[in-house]
Amino acid sequence: MSLIPFRTKRSSGMESGSLATLADFRNEMNRLFEGFFSRSPLASPWFETSEPGQWLPAIDMSENDTQIHIRAELPGIDPKDVDVSVSEDRLVISGEKKSEKEASGEGWSHRESHYGGFSRAIPLPESVDPAKVTARYDKGVLMVELTKSPTSASRKVPVLTAK
Amino acid sequence: MVTQTQTTMPATEQPAAPTQTYQPNVDICDLGAEVLLVADIPGARASGIDVTFEDGVLEVRAAVPLRELPGRVVRQEYGIGNYRRSFRLGEGFDAAQISADYKKGVLTIHLPRLAAVRPRKVEVKTA
Repeated sequence: MSLIPFRTKRSSGMESGSLATLADFRNEMNRLFEGFFSRSPLASPWFETSEPGQWLPAIDMSENDTQIHIRAELPGIDPKDVDVSVSEDRLVISGEKKSEKEASGEGWSHRESHYGGFSRAIPLPESVDPAKVTARYDKGVLMVELTKSPTSASRKVPVLTAK
Repeated sequence: MVTQTQTTMPATEQPAAPTQTYQPNVDICDLGAEVLLVADIPGARASGIDVTFEDGVLEVRAAVPLRELPGRVVRQEYGIGNYRRSFRLGEGFDAAQISADYKKGVLTIHLPRLAAVRPRKVEVKTA
């Protein structure tokens, strides 16, 4: 829809028509791809999904020597509806996004947000200490901080020769 | 009824802000007396959100502070950027009564219709 050229008074002074059209086109393509992949098992070949019909929250992950940080965008979700569980090598974020108007099912003319259950199992690059995990939810963003277990530090393996 | 119109532009006017601008996902619900527009804008601050309604076009802009992940990035599935999206709603809305609230990363905009254009149920009388 945004491919239809249209400029408001506000925007016409700041951007050229061709630039705006290009930006629109790029965004529309991104949206198409996002929509396709986020609803498909191809979304992440090495991240496990759980049930069909569930949606996958997008995540960012980083690590340093001692910690792993995972951030997920979960707008509109009550923190008490989010479940974060961790084992040595895997973090699972699951929960449900409820729609206040969902029950009536009436009046929605346009829907782009995901509703219902979600679950995502994220293999961790290194094993972590399940006792040292913190999760914080703020303004629709979940931040999980994991501490690597000391035993996970890389270890030199001696190569034995056959007798 | 609601037509999405102008969308994004490079966020060049705010050098300190993220360089990308994204369109938020929205749900639109027509409740008759008002139209509800619900936009996912995770990570924004309420003070950084601008909602304007001018000439029948509703524009939502939100500044999102950068959230740097500490350490080396292992996986990045979404970008952090500002949000901007416009919707051509047409006239017939009471601009003075438009209200918006921001909770849990979701912006909800209430757009009340002018009384004159609200749908009205007509009673059918029998002879």
